[in-house]
Amino acid sequence: MAVLWEGLIQGLLGVWSVARIVIPLMIILEAAGASGILERINRAASGLFRWVGLSEEGAFPVVVAVFFGLAFGSGVIISYIDEGRVSPREVRLIGVFIALCHALVEDTALFAAVGVPVILLLAPRVAAGFLCCWALYCLMLWRNKRAVQPRVVNG
Amino acid sequence: MAQQVNAAVIKRGAVKGIKTTLELAKIIVPSTIVVTVLKESGVLAEVSAVGAPLMRVFGLSADAALVLISGYFVNLYAAVGSILALNLAPREVAVLAIMLGFAHSLLVEIAVSRRAGTPISAVLPLRVGVSLAAGFIAGRVL
Repeated sequence: MAVLWEGLIQGLLGVWSVARIVIPLMIILEAAGASGILERINRAASGLFRWVGLSEEGAFPVVVAVFFGLAFGSGVIISYIDEGRVSPREVRLIGVFIALCHALVEDTALFAAVGVPVILLLAPRVAAGFLCCWALYCLMLWRNKRAVQPRVVNG
Repeated sequence: MAQQVNAAVIKRGAVKGIKTTLELAKIIVPSTIVVTVLKESGVLAEVSAVGAPLMRVFGLSADAALVLISGYFVNLYAAVGSILALNLAPREVAVLAIMLGFAHSLLVEIAVSRRAGTPISAVLPLRVGVSLAAGFIAGRVL
């Protein structure tokens, strides 16, 4: 009985330490979504994404996934892809990037709540997302030397 | 999509935050209790002895296997629940967090990825592979 009690207390304390961070963050995320800041981040980061083969249009689902995660962001991500707004090649690149690097706000907050330094949570995922996406892009270019710039593909 | 940030938006965010908290409470509390019982009853020690050599590759103690399993198969909340119930060193928690960042909630998220046009045969080896590689590196560096 004492064991169950200890587990319950531990669990509730854990919920509290996570809630304290998740609730304010959800408010900030919601405000960020409404203010159109995601579109601005997308535009600002478009140079960075072009390096890994993603156009501004193709990078938007990535930006959504990075901030909102696969569960909350899946609506936007799937509708973008279903509507054919990105090329099949970009669908692959997006898939690799968001598989490794998504929900950075929620996931980072969760582990920060149990004491892991934020830089250790963010840096490896962002680096691996770009690196693996870039590697796939290089492979695509190598396979198809006639591949054109993504900007032109969508233009 | 761009609109105004007003009270309604703030409220929507707060409601989402509370809903997320309730969702995570439903997972964290039971998983912490289950892991505490497993630990106190000695079952955990027997099971983790099996996984110990593998955990050593990542510089982790045997009990950490439970955190990895709950994170990979269930989700990060379950992993945090396990972390809370075990006495892991801070560097072990950091290694686990890095590994789980790359691969977690695999059953659910792989379904989302598939729906978004990335086949399971690509996304599963990618995520698990990067997770294990990152654990190998982090286990040495941290």
